[in-house]
Amino acid sequence: MEIPFIVNARKDTGLFNSKVGIWLFLASEVTLFGGLFSGYLFLRLYADYPWPERALPVLPGLINTFVLIGSSVTVVFAWAALKMREWRKFQIYMAITLVCAALFMVLKGIEYSAKFGHQAVRIQGGGPVQDNAIVEGHLHYAKLNKEGLMEEVDEESKNDEGVFKANRVLVKASELTFVLTRPSHEAYVEEILKQAGDSKITLAENYQVIDKDELRAGEMNRDQLVNNESALVAEKGSELSIDLLDELEDAFLEARSHDRKVRTEFLAASWDWIRNEKGEEEASTYVVEKEIWKERRSEDAEKIKVLTLRAPSEVTFKVDPPFTLVLEPSDLVKKVNVGDLSAKLRDDTLVTGDVLPSPMIMGVDALDFRTTAQRAEAEGLDPLPVIEGTWLLTHKGHHDGRDDHAEGEDLDDRNEFKKIWDCHMAWLDVEKARLAEKDREPTANDKFRVNWDQILAYQSLDYDPVKVKVASKEKSLKRTGLFDLNAMAGANHKTPDKEFPDLHFPHLEIPRANVGFESSFTPKWNTYYAIYFTITGLHGLHVIGGALVLGYYLFFGRKMYESNPEWLANRVEVGGLFWHFVDLVWIFLFPILYLM
Amino acid sequence: MADSIEEVKKAKKLYMFIGTLLFFFTVITVMVATVEWLDFGDHGFDGVDATIGLCIAAFKASLVMLIFMHLNHERPLIYFVYILGLVMAFFCMWLIGWSKSDPIQFGNETYSDGFYDLSKPATEVHGHGAKEN
Amino acid sequence: MSMDAHDHHDDHHHVLPWWKKYFFSTDHKTIGIQYGLAAGAFLLFGFFLMIVMRWSIAYPHEPLPGYMSWIFTDGWKARWLDDGKVTGETYNMFGAMHGTIMVFLGVVPLGFAAFGNYVTPLQIGAPDMAFPKLNMASFWVYLAGGLVMCASFFMESGAAKSGWTNYSPLAGYADKQIVNQFLAGQTQWLIGLVLLITSSLLGSVNFVTTIIQLRAKGLTWMRLPFFVWAMLVTGFLLLLAFPPLEAAGIMQLMDRVVGSSFFMPSGLYSASSGAAMDLSGSGSPLLFQHLFWFLGHPEVYVLLLPAIACVAEIIPCNTRKPLWGYKPMVWAVIVLGFLSFIVWAHHMYLTGMGPVISTFFQTTTVLISVPSVILLTSMIISLWGGSIRFTMPMIWAAAFLPMFGIGGLTGLPLAFNLADLHLHDTYYVIGHFHYVVAPGILFGLFAGVYHWYPKMTGRFMDNFLGHLHFWPSLVCMNLLFFPMLTQGMAGFHRRWYNGGEGYIEKGAEGVNVFGLTVAEKISLNEVMTGAAIALAVFQLPFLVNMFISYFWGKKVTSDNPWDATTLEWATPTPPGHGNFTFEPAIYRGPYEYSRPDHDSDFFPQWEEPKRDAPAETPEVKPEKETTGA
Repeated sequence: MEIPFIVNARKDTGLFNSKVGIWLFLASEVTLFGGLFSGYLFLRLYADYPWPERALPVLPGLINTFVLIGSSVTVVFAWAALKMREWRKFQIYMAITLVCAALFMVLKGIEYSAKFGHQAVRIQGGGPVQDNAIVEGHLHYAKLNKEGLMEEVDEESKNDEGVFKANRVLVKASELTFVLTRPSHEAYVEEILKQAGDSKITLAENYQVIDKDELRAGEMNRDQLVNNESALVAEKGSELSIDLLDELEDAFLEARSHDRKVRTEFLAASWDWIRNEKGEEEASTYVVEKEIWKERRSEDAEKIKVLTLRAPSEVTFKVDPPFTLVLEPSDLVKKVNVGDLSAKLRDDTLVTGDVLPSPMIMGVDALDFRTTAQRAEAEGLDPLPVIEGTWLLTHKGHHDGRDDHAEGEDLDDRNEFKKIWDCHMAWLDVEKARLAEKDREPTANDKFRVNWDQILAYQSLDYDPVKVKVASKEKSLKRTGLFDLNAMAGANHKTPDKEFPDLHFPHLEIPRANVGFESSFTPKWNTYYAIYFTITGLHGLHVIGGALVLGYYLFFGRKMYESNPEWLANRVEVGGLFWHFVDLVWIFLFPILYLM
Repeated sequence: MADSIEEVKKAKKLYMFIGTLLFFFTVITVMVATVEWLDFGDHGFDGVDATIGLCIAAFKASLVMLIFMHLNHERPLIYFVYILGLVMAFFCMWLIGWSKSDPIQFGNETYSDGFYDLSKPATEVHGHGAKEN
Repeated sequence: MSMDAHDHHDDHHHVLPWWKKYFFSTDHKTIGIQYGLAAGAFLLFGFFLMIVMRWSIAYPHEPLPGYMSWIFTDGWKARWLDDGKVTGETYNMFGAMHGTIMVFLGVVPLGFAAFGNYVTPLQIGAPDMAFPKLNMASFWVYLAGGLVMCASFFMESGAAKSGWTNYSPLAGYADKQIVNQFLAGQTQWLIGLVLLITSSLLGSVNFVTTIIQLRAKGLTWMRLPFFVWAMLVTGFLLLLAFPPLEAAGIMQLMDRVVGSSFFMPSGLYSASSGAAMDLSGSGSPLLFQHLFWFLGHPEVYVLLLPAIACVAEIIPCNTRKPLWGYKPMVWAVIVLGFLSFIVWAHHMYLTGMGPVISTFFQTTTVLISVPSVILLTSMIISLWGGSIRFTMPMIWAAAFLPMFGIGGLTGLPLAFNLADLHLHDTYYVIGHFHYVVAPGILFGLFAGVYHWYPKMTGRFMDNFLGHLHFWPSLVCMNLLFFPMLTQGMAGFHRRWYNGGEGYIEKGAEGVNVFGLTVAEKISLNEVMTGAAIALAVFQLPFLVNMFISYFWGKKVTSDNPWDATTLEWATPTPPGHGNFTFEPAIYRGPYEYSRPDHDSDFFPQWEEPKRDAPAETPEVKPEKETTGA
């Protein structure tokens, strides 16, 4: 059996099968990306926060655009080479196409990893708009000191044991309570055991489940049954392990099954009884609140009490001596603050113990007050005083980025961020005047956001507003960053900046109570990053898929070429159509995600 | 279709030219977004920039479709299929956008799901339908 | 069924190992049967879930009876049943999965994939689908998707519980207590959905390509059987409507797994912990509804068209006269397909859309009833003056017409914004679409099974068992679904797990806009539950019939036992790999019954015209085509 029109075109349609197939597929891809673009449009037009426009460094996107366009050209050339029966040329062009695909993915990977390593936090505080200042930067690292308290460590030791990112929540755990119906706590138990060190985590009470047969035999009273040896599942003092929890869980589930069965039997028997006694009419299922029924059910309850095992569904472990448990904030059901006496994990595991001071420590590379300003404007307030009153600009800083204070230098009590802000206001005055000459106004982005390049520039001018004014009249303090390879993925904290090699980004410690919503630059941070990662990720999968297919023709196409060169040419044309479509999508993605 | 060898040879020059055009317009797009004297409309990003950027993108996309994907000389069936896809994607965007921009109004107050009053603590916000400003 | 299809007529083909023949076969007929069996199993499972739900509605205080609960293990019962009674949580889980299974895993694969796969290539004279390997992949991806979804029943989280429409923010946040989100039912539902969409994309590309490219000589567009037209339109619907839902599914998956806020608005807080959720917010729940219903409405026609297609084949064959209005029907089905893309928001009148856009969708919704009525009316008129043979398939097809009619007409009030505001989310809506899907679509598909079973197996299905299946099913279906319409008008909410008892406690005297009360209609619950259980019992004759007829049914005496005219009856019985023993050519339209100028009362499409007779359609000669290399 042979399927017709695999290579040659059908007369009336003028097409071979796979060409019809690929165009149908592309049409469905159009609606797939149509759905995603509607999502983008929708989320952007109706966002209730300032959309981060032009938030990404343009350079990698631009290079990727060139790479994809180039590969689009080479893929048609590869097809043309096959049409002219030039196998060697086909190989060369196709290989270039694949190299382009690889280059594209590598650049994407660099961009992604830079974002994953970048942290942002929305500060929560008082004031008319709950603060809502946003700080971006890189998290610092910390470890526990001898007292079990948090202590910042250098970047270099980030891979050492016991070092964690400085956004964790610390709890002095003295007791752990596990819910036995959650087998998914394994990951947590592993982590807890790892962190426990020399502390012993032991079962606080005997875990006892009455033996079913002994209960049925009825020779002992309940106390005897519970304290009987056969009822003991785990002894007080057994050490916490996943196996132990599994064992307890099994015992509990079995007991629960037994109890439920008993209760079900009683309920069913009661229904039989009421139907026999009262007839169908009286016993209508919706009329069961009658006194007679209540009486019967309370009798049942007495009997059930005797016949059920009633195993406890939670087990508590004692921790001796208490140790500091380092928890990821996203694992907590609810935010905790210093002084709280317990923390609950997502699977309802309860960690009892004092919540220790666990500030978030980071090197700051951008201040963003746009949300604060937007909320203030929505309340009918002037944004500037509200911004001046935020925690970030008013808190007492202990660290201004310099240790070499000269004798008699005027030490003001502004923290470093307030100094930056004052410089920014000075810069803004100049910028406003400059734009006014052209009948233009600064954007909210200009006004309320201080970017990393500005922070560095202000720092290089000793945070002196007068110097900033003078300097910004000479040249723009904002970099476009377009041709700055070092800043390809945004502010770079690791390698020194080429213009200001000696400077470093300001250091900030945010007390736990002021840490609002926080995330690295992942889809979680806001809907812009969510749609950015989703569309580019999906597009990346298309690139990989397309490269696999084209690679197959390059490496395994020889046989097909020899049997019928036209066949391979058709295949490459079809694969090329898909490749062009991938390029087409990127042509829209680039301006939408990078330039708007 | 460019099937004969001469046509393919001729087409290769065209592909080269189109590739160059695409590079050129990419640079233009980036310049519109980054160079100040090419910043149309208000200062910074605004609707004018978006329109220009999307128009250039649409132009580039149609070059790719017409030349690289051979839609300048294709069978009617292909046009039918592809245009159907575009039309449906258009409906998807257009109607969703329309239904979003036409919320129910009571007097001068507009109710929609887009805005939640964050200035109040969570417990004071009553589900959806908070007043939009 | 046609598992032994390979032996004769296929001698040029080497013998395949059994696992290739039965499991990883690329033969469209085997794949069709695989789809049919898998979809049938899922349908039974979905039906079972529904019976448990109906028990909870009628007898909320009584433990599940033994004949339902034996299937569950003690541990499962202890987790999900409250002393043997169905809990609200379990009811929600079963409800969500009933809808999902019936729509995505049951009816669509049965109608489009099973019948489409088996019949379409035969009717167009193709040796197989255009891309046989894709066809096989499509089935296995579908099965994987279905199993992933159903596997979550056995996990701690249970299966998805947020309705078959999976609306955010509920669906975006449910099961968050599970540490590894990939082991949560709600997440698995999404993964399953993405797999199912992938499968249906592969399938629809394949169908459309096959119909466009592999038609036999002389089979021009207007000579295509209506079945093929319906499959072509269905293929386009799946192709273009599913991807936006795939986008939505991926976005919701992101919400669940990496914590994004596509569909999570600002200001959400968790009632249990009393704290703000750890989310960025600013997402839009309405966006999900839009993307869902962009698929959701075309999906209704994906369910419906294969059933109409089966009925449209069976009616002419059993009335021995041409399908009345073939051309208008073809145009109607094309217009229907197109319009179905722009009516979706009538599912969303209650979401706060403004009056202007509501009017737009109201208009398009009313418009789409025109082609639907053309289809139904043409088939009813086709019966007029026919010498009807009441064969088993014809009886089912005849019952389809009024049942689907009720389903369709009860939908009209829902098209209107004002009426919909009262009826939405009540049992009226449930009654309406179940009338369309259960006694409508399923009857059409049953008709198809009885009709093509002889071609698949070479034996007829038993008539007595057929009647024993049909009549009680007809009665039970109506007893089950008609009360839903009245209950709905009385204001029964569609998600009451205790059948309205809780509502009566709070507002026994509440009279609704139609002057009806919940209390006076609540006793119907028991009638409906009884009907549902009886309906289940009377599916047994069908299962028995399928099984015993395969071994002991009456053998067919010819390859064309119904004296039909379309091309699938020109193949050997059952058709071998490659289908045709001759190269089929087509000389006339698909429904040439009772032609006065022809000896017998049917004139098959493939029968060559007599030499001396004048050429039938001189303008369309069988085309010469380039054959495959």
